[in-house]
Amino acid sequence: MICPRCDSDKIKVMVKSPVGDEWEVYVCEKCWFSWRSTETINVLPKFRLDDEKIRNMQMIPPIPPLGK
Amino acid sequence: MAKTYKDLREFLQTLEEEGQLVRVAGPVNPEPDLGAIGRAAADIKNGPAVLVENIRGYRYSMVTNVHGSWKNHALMLGMDKDATVKEQFEELNRRWDKFPVTPKVVSREEAPCKQNTITEDINLFELLPLYRINEQDGGFFLSKASVVTGDPEFPDDFNKLNVGTYRIQVKDKDRVGIQALAFHDIAVQLEKAERENKPLPIAITLGNTPLVTFMASTPVGYNQNEYEFVGALQDGVPTEIVKADTCDHLWVPAGAEVVIEGYIIPRHRVVEGPFGEFPGSYSGARLQCEIQITRITHRDNPIFENLYLGVPWTEIDYLMALNTSVPLYKQLKESMPEVVAVNAMYTHGMGVIISTKVRYGGYGKGVAFRLLSTPHGMPYSKIVIIVDEFVDPFNLEQVMWALTTRVKPDKDVSLIENCPGMPLDPSSFPAGMHTKMIIDATTPVAPEPNPRETQLLEKPVGSEAWDAVLRDLLKKGN
Ligand SMILES: [Zn+2]
Repeated sequence: MICPRCDSDKIKVMVKSPVGDEWEVYVCEKCWFSWRSTETINVLPKFRLDDEKIRNMQMIPPIPPLGK
Repeated sequence: MAKTYKDLREFLQTLEEEGQLVRVAGPVNPEPDLGAIGRAAADIKNGPAVLVENIRGYRYSMVTNVHGSWKNHALMLGMDKDATVKEQFEELNRRWDKFPVTPKVVSREEAPCKQNTITEDINLFELLPLYRINEQDGGFFLSKASVVTGDPEFPDDFNKLNVGTYRIQVKDKDRVGIQALAFHDIAVQLEKAERENKPLPIAITLGNTPLVTFMASTPVGYNQNEYEFVGALQDGVPTEIVKADTCDHLWVPAGAEVVIEGYIIPRHRVVEGPFGEFPGSYSGARLQCEIQITRITHRDNPIFENLYLGVPWTEIDYLMALNTSVPLYKQLKESMPEVVAVNAMYTHGMGVIISTKVRYGGYGKGVAFRLLSTPHGMPYSKIVIIVDEFVDPFNLEQVMWALTTRVKPDKDVSLIENCPGMPLDPSSFPAGMHTKMIIDATTPVAPEPNPRETQLLEKPVGSEAWDAVLRDLLKKGN
């Protein structure tokens, strides 16, 4: 299985449905996209991610310098 | 004394009695149904809250659109459900002045939110029917949590305890991301903790009495405690709080459905988002903070309260309408008693209409400057319209009249470049900076020349008496 957003294969099962055997939720350990096995996932091209996009992402809020 | 609610359940009961809550027996799928239900409820005029009782794969229920109509908003205040927006604005203004009302501290045994405790194998999915709100969201989000944090430098200063609403993305069974925007109170506290490389203790509360949720999304001053405002808005009836289990200086609403305790991991940012936001578009993915959950307490059979947000108007627009307008009005009124009313209902105050008396020439612009230096107005407000004191800023027909008859664009429209902005505004560029536009739609007052002096029409004599006669005839069905 690969991540539908960044194509990474570092995917884990986050959780199985608490009641019955209805679904599982997966999460990508590279970009933290998560999805349910019962969903039809179609990440639009503009929301797809790669290493460069992640590296250049804005940080909110900025990390301050360490105190003395 | 207006009706008040101790917890979400009491409010839901009132909504149901007033015909403002419907139940979906289900079972429904988490996606796309739960998001779709929220959207549909908001699209109905006077839309109800919707309690979804059975969701595939989950144990407990979910409620959405709790604040999503003017009727529900009026019932939150204990008013008649048909109270007008202006009446609700005025009632909020009256109660606002009762601040501060000290909350009532209850013992752990008395607090329903402590009925159950989880400290091992923490799994949010066991309690909360989590779901994707909008299709391109990066995951499942908590959109309506009241988040409690303290000031690391002054932990015992109750005034500096902050209760705010921040979007939260579920990253794992026991870990969530949080959006702490630089201009929000939580960012001040986080910066202090991160300078020392210390975790910031945090409590995420879900399913609160509606005025706690209302105050959590209200832009009050850093040194003003939101719980003391809840008591004021309950017309003097204190709200009930209890100490968090994992941190001595955090206090949570005693009646919360679920309390998630943990800490923000210091100096750590990972991908969060995208997320469909209140301006009606997605806000992109950014590197944001994460919270490690260490403990959950919850009521028996917890109800997950969450909201849909998207193209306005949705539930969040009702929630943020008057709680943005009232504090801005109070902040302006303090230094400028000429101000009559503030309508900051549009897109969380990105658009604001202020009605004011004009004390001397150019005063309208001065009122706009004051708005643009308030805690909320400085980053959020982009388009500011100032109208005369006789124009109702909540009545857009009157505001359009003022724009068309009082604005001379070459002198009354001002653009100020490179100002603080709101990153979620998709027109701000770079994200978080924008140009302000002030439109002074007031009548010129000396020393400003008014070469085209105009005479406002008066109502014909007897109009008011005839108004009563005609209404009476209508009632009789003539
Ligand atoms: Zn990924």
